[in-house]
Amino acid sequence: MKDNGFKILLTIGFIALCVYYLYPSVHNLFLSNKIESMSGEERTAYEQENNTTIKTVKDKSLKLGLDLLGGMHVTLEVKIDALVRELATDVDQPFEEVLADANTRADNQGISLIDAFSQAFTERDPNALLSRYFRDTDANITRRSTNAEVVTYLQAEADEAILRAIEIIRQRVDRFGVTEPSIQRQGARRIVVELPGVTEQDRVRTLLKGTAKLEFRLMAEPQALLRTAQLAIEAYQEEAAMDSTSDALLAADSAGVVSDTTSDIDALLALEDDGPVNRLLQIVQPYPQASVRFGVVSEQDTAAFNALMREPVFQDLMPTNTTLMYHSSPSGLNAAGFEVYEILGVRNEIELDGSVITDAKVDFDEFNRAKVSMAMNGEGARIWARITGANVNKNVAVVMDNTVYSFPVINERIAGGRTEINGLDSQAEAQDIVNVLKSGALPAPLIIVEERTVGPSLGEASIQAGLNSILVGLLLVALFMIFYYRTAGIVADLALIINVIFILGILAGFKATLTLPGIAGIVLTIGMAVDANVLIFERVREEQNTGKTLKAAMEGGYSKALSAIFDANITTFFVGAILYSFGVGPIKGFAVTLMAGIIASMFSAIVITRIVMDYMVVERRIKVNYG
Amino acid sequence: MRIFENAAFRFIQSRKTGYLISGILLLLSVISLSTRGLELGIDFKGGMEFVVESSELLDVNEVTNALSGVLEGATGVKTFGENAVLIATAAEGEINAIESAILTQIRTSFPDQTHEVIKTDVVGPRFADDLKRGAIQALLASLLVIFVYIFFRFEWRFSVGAVAALAHDVTITLGLFSLLQGIVPFSLEINQAIIAAFLTIVGYSLNDTVVVFDRIREYTNLFKTDAYDNVVNRSINNTLSRTIITSGTTLLVVATLFIFGSGALRGFAFALLVGVIIGTYSSIFVASPVVVELRNRAAANRK
Repeated sequence: MKDNGFKILLTIGFIALCVYYLYPSVHNLFLSNKIESMSGEERTAYEQENNTTIKTVKDKSLKLGLDLLGGMHVTLEVKIDALVRELATDVDQPFEEVLADANTRADNQGISLIDAFSQAFTERDPNALLSRYFRDTDANITRRSTNAEVVTYLQAEADEAILRAIEIIRQRVDRFGVTEPSIQRQGARRIVVELPGVTEQDRVRTLLKGTAKLEFRLMAEPQALLRTAQLAIEAYQEEAAMDSTSDALLAADSAGVVSDTTSDIDALLALEDDGPVNRLLQIVQPYPQASVRFGVVSEQDTAAFNALMREPVFQDLMPTNTTLMYHSSPSGLNAAGFEVYEILGVRNEIELDGSVITDAKVDFDEFNRAKVSMAMNGEGARIWARITGANVNKNVAVVMDNTVYSFPVINERIAGGRTEINGLDSQAEAQDIVNVLKSGALPAPLIIVEERTVGPSLGEASIQAGLNSILVGLLLVALFMIFYYRTAGIVADLALIINVIFILGILAGFKATLTLPGIAGIVLTIGMAVDANVLIFERVREEQNTGKTLKAAMEGGYSKALSAIFDANITTFFVGAILYSFGVGPIKGFAVTLMAGIIASMFSAIVITRIVMDYMVVERRIKVNYG
Repeated sequence: MRIFENAAFRFIQSRKTGYLISGILLLLSVISLSTRGLELGIDFKGGMEFVVESSELLDVNEVTNALSGVLEGATGVKTFGENAVLIATAAEGEINAIESAILTQIRTSFPDQTHEVIKTDVVGPRFADDLKRGAIQALLASLLVIFVYIFFRFEWRFSVGAVAALAHDVTITLGLFSLLQGIVPFSLEINQAIIAAFLTIVGYSLNDTVVVFDRIREYTNLFKTDAYDNVVNRSINNTLSRTIITSGTTLLVVATLFIFGSGALRGFAFALLVGVIIGTYSSIFVASPVVVELRNRAAANRK
């Protein structure tokens, strides 16, 4: 027994350590139960009084994953191609083609977009110089810079872009007000954002992605826009006529009619009923008068209209220098009950951008509708005064991230550099816009490549199901061990319970997060944890069969089972480690519990049961029954 | 109670039967995998999934019909838990727009109940590719690491035996997933959790195999004069009761998980349930026999 002194000390030390790490979790559980049972007033008072205790206990307790706690997990990716386009001082057709080529290459070969871009560029023309497109005096990129220098510059800019994006996202999330958010870089161009307890997914999505590129632009010439609408309807009518083979003759006739009466758009609209399908009219309701509005489109047709807008037929009819954009909020409902959005003609030139904004705040207009008031710096105010002065009685579009928020008519020259964004849906939206404006614009657009949201009720149900499985699993295995191994089984069960405490202690100690797969891992470990004991007990029985005394059989059993326990567990541990390094999110949680379970079960089987057995057999001379 | 205490089954001698069974199972798996394929979950396929909880359970067909005009791209509707439906769509575009389109349509079609989105999963196509690559790499890496470890602790024949058994287990479990999809009343989609389950099967099956190998190593030194076949057979028999007990306790908890676990965990528990059974079988009928075959072949060559 003497030589067991160290083992006993070690075991007590480990148990003490686990209890130390688990104490805050238990405390937290009691606290939240207590708070839960209080009435509203009592609760607030209690929470105020014990604010620091509640906070520290919460901080130190075992963290639950978003799948159990509820919340949002979002992976964002920086659009490097947009950044490259942004950095280019001159974008032409070949440039766009090379960029498109680079995008497919980067996808297929899994290389960085900038490498793919430089590859595609050199393959297209080995003698061409990248510096033709990228000039930057600050970064010392001149006409004579080599391609390698430009690539290094682009890579540095891309790196810088993701770091800035993380910084900006952090500010936005902080302003949004989330407790314990986590924002981390993943790989070369991804950002993982974890927001516990968040339920307003739609707001968060817009908040995270919005580049907050605020622009003030003049709008399309109403007559020119109307003319475009008329010509486009005709063009698609002709196309439809050509396509319809059955009614070829009739269609040709009606197409002829069309070109005679181009002035009346209502007549054109009337054609839709009996003529062949016009792809434009199918999705868009053109605006019948000269206006900055092109028409309205139902929300589920926006994707189709985006595709149609890119067609050369349509492109050729657009007035020069004009782009179509959607209004940020719906203008009403269509006959089928879907929200419709206005399509607005906006000039390509940006008159003024968000960089001149010095302050932004939420405000309310006379109808108590939320708006965003902004102040500009001196230069911005001067330009704003000039633009408004020169365009009285025309519309100016307030554009953010390629969506028009409002397009008020300029009544008079605006001096003093104040302006506002109207046409917002809610105060929350105004608050979010202020938030993104204050945090600054993202250097490159972000897209959501992965999102997992779990509601709090679902998480609670998962915890309950998980706890039930752990308890039932533990009970079944414990009963079986007693049934099969008798006294030795009881000792094994003791080890099993300590084993579970160890696993939770290891998780808390290493600040690991408990996820749903993690709970599954604990359940699984309970089944597998008895393995080491089974190996030992079977070995002891074998030794007993050869006629050895109980003490000798135990000695032999433990020592002979050791190599099998060691080899079997270490390989499983390796698998856990691989799972950890390749897995993401919840799977990592599973891998951690699996590894923790292996270490804990080896220790509890080899050391703890041995101590107890030795005590019973050697000290108390009890005849331990191995079943 | 003691089971299999003096077991003396002729495992190695009748290994041809094992080969036949494994061969049939493998063949069936490969056929099913190549004809029926696997149902890839959102993790590896990409797309969007929304779980909408209503005050009463909605009819899957009615929801499907209601949504047919709203979403472009394939849409699938399944029940989820007690009173929620899972709507999976391949539609691309703004998450907000798609989510609100679905919710608006459901609210218009079923105005008598309240509806709420309680879970969303969105995986972009490139992200899905990355996850797929990661999963395959993880499986291959674990097989490699196991091969190398066994090589150093035992010898190469054992490495081959162990890895053959693991590949056997994973293939047959995958085959069963392919064969049973759509037949059993729970989802057998291949997602990240299932990959984790497969790696656990690999770890578990190996556990069993290594225990037998360890005994073979011990008995090879102990019974030098015995034929190798007999040494291996005795090793399997003498570890048999341990093999059965451990598999039994593991099956107990996995079955618990299968019964208590909600939607996501059920497929996971099913994979483990199948994996534990096949893993136990393979350490007796695949791993050790492969070692014997390789050893006998070497002996024959020496003569």
